[in-house]
Amino acid sequence: MTAVSMPALASSRPRPPALAASIGWHLLFLLAVGLPIPLLAGDSYWTDVVTMTYLFAGLSCAWNIIGGLGGQFSLGHGVFFAVGAYTTARLYLVAGLSPWLSLPLAAALGVAIALLVSWPTFRLRGPFFAIATMAVNEVGLVLANFMEPLTGGPQGLLIPFRAGFANMIFAERWQSAVLMFGYMSCAVIATLLVRRARLGHYLIAVHANEDAAEAAGVNVLRTKLAGMAISAALTAVGGSLFVMYIRVIDPPNLFSLPEVGVKFALIALIGGIGTVVGPVLGAFVIIPLESWLRGALGDLTPGGHVIVLGIVLILAARFFKQGVYGKAQQLRRSWAARASAP
Amino acid sequence: MNTFLNVLLSGLLLGGIYALVSLGLNLIFGVVRIVNFAQGEFIMVAMYATYACFFFFGMSPYVAVFIIAPGMFLFGIIVQRLLLQPLRDEPLMQVFTTFGLLILMQNVVLAITRGEGKSVAVAASRTVIDLGIMKANAGRVIIFIVTAAIAGALLAFLRYSHAGKVIRAVIQDRDAARLMGINVELTYLLVFGLGAALAGVAGSLLAPIYTLQPQIGGNFILAAFAVVVLGGMGSVAGAYIGGLAVGIVESFAGYYVDPALKQAIWFLIFIAVLVVRPSGLFGRKGTEELGLRQH
Repeated sequence: MTAVSMPALASSRPRPPALAASIGWHLLFLLAVGLPIPLLAGDSYWTDVVTMTYLFAGLSCAWNIIGGLGGQFSLGHGVFFAVGAYTTARLYLVAGLSPWLSLPLAAALGVAIALLVSWPTFRLRGPFFAIATMAVNEVGLVLANFMEPLTGGPQGLLIPFRAGFANMIFAERWQSAVLMFGYMSCAVIATLLVRRARLGHYLIAVHANEDAAEAAGVNVLRTKLAGMAISAALTAVGGSLFVMYIRVIDPPNLFSLPEVGVKFALIALIGGIGTVVGPVLGAFVIIPLESWLRGALGDLTPGGHVIVLGIVLILAARFFKQGVYGKAQQLRRSWAARASAP
Repeated sequence: MNTFLNVLLSGLLLGGIYALVSLGLNLIFGVVRIVNFAQGEFIMVAMYATYACFFFFGMSPYVAVFIIAPGMFLFGIIVQRLLLQPLRDEPLMQVFTTFGLLILMQNVVLAITRGEGKSVAVAASRTVIDLGIMKANAGRVIIFIVTAAIAGALLAFLRYSHAGKVIRAVIQDRDAARLMGINVELTYLLVFGLGAALAGVAGSLLAPIYTLQPQIGGNFILAAFAVVVLGGMGSVAGAYIGGLAVGIVESFAGYYVDPALKQAIWFLIFIAVLVVRPSGLFGRKGTEELGLRQH
């Protein structure tokens, strides 16, 4: 804050572009990312892959707000995902409520649960927080199996195929792709707004050094809770969209760490953890790769594609920390340095 | 009254299992300051190795443990040296790495065994010992006794041996320990190996009493995390007593509440401890705030 009032410091650092310009650039980026929809129309397999890519890009963006910007490594986002999925599916099945109307409710419930479990777990730092959230995820799994009237228990829930806009079930695959694209765009813009707002700076400060942030007057707990609330709301909405697209859910799938909780983090890592567009880039690497592997290795051996994901996770943590986005930035910088050199 | 003692005793025996699986995890936790999410998978792999020794060579698990524990020691050293040592001071990347290991090991075993459940049927898995109040499976009684012995030996090792003194110095302040001429990296390497070897012991002893599946590590790791949080991060006594406590609580919850909710009960303990005493019952104050990073 004080640095701004000191001209010497202020001028030495490049000012970030104006918010409007930044939003403009990101919309342009999203437009480019949306290109596969018209290009792939008619190819139902790849349209499905792109649809899942958009969905997981959005979910990973949501995780990235607290996990990347705020540095709080949550493994429990499967809970918010499942809360969204169950809320929307239950209300649709029992009351015939349109999923569009249950979205705000799912988000609110996701936030409520996020605040409830985060208040104690945010006492922990780093990997300890990760453990606690992993436990949260397991408890979610147990409760989902146990609360049969709500969740359908171990058998899960099945949503009949009744195409229609009000039901959020689409006859054409590209329509679902557009919906997920919209979700991802919201998540990207939300991340950008958080990043540019005071909250974003606070989250980054907490990430960098919690004690220093506290000393500088940042309310650490409130900052984390705010980041977690936004993240959980977006994740719950993603869960709602997921259930209306897949139309069948059961606890092992919703709470699977490699398929849900950790995948959000993996995608963010591959794309560029803590960056605004990183999760989108990461999703475009991981989701198509995974569905290709599933096809190529699925018959060969059970779990073959997951083996590759495990290896990717280990290697990326070791050699590719900055992600696609960070790598691109690095290349651009070294290119610029070479261009400006005499 | 008899039922009460019965539930208490079966809780103690279960607690012995939890204490055994928590010792290695907590050692790695406390000294190397790495949260090994793959510890359950280390145990799982050791269980399958025990099965292989039994199936191919007819070796008893209680003999195989003397091969498997050193084998896991080597495995741990390799993992620490190649994967984790380069990520020192990067706790988030360590989480990714150990989680990647978890996914990798689980699915490699799944691919090899094609997911069939295996069992190591030796005398200990069938024999029943009469403990007066109740009859107990011999395999579980052996685990209880061995775990108590290991915890005692570990405590004595840390307190009285020179190596134990070195390890305690590294726990207290790794920078100061380095200045005193202690090879901190080597200490980490050996302690991680020791933690993996303890997973090996656990795997061999658990093999006779469980049906082996690739996902079985998950059953242990969550309980072990609850134990570690309850007992205090990095404390041997904490891991042991915490393990017994979690076993007893689970046994009572299973009998008097609902077996399906046992994990929810662990979690309530978890939250209660976090709120009341975040460093655990036996932990050094402030460990939970270090976030494994030394500034």
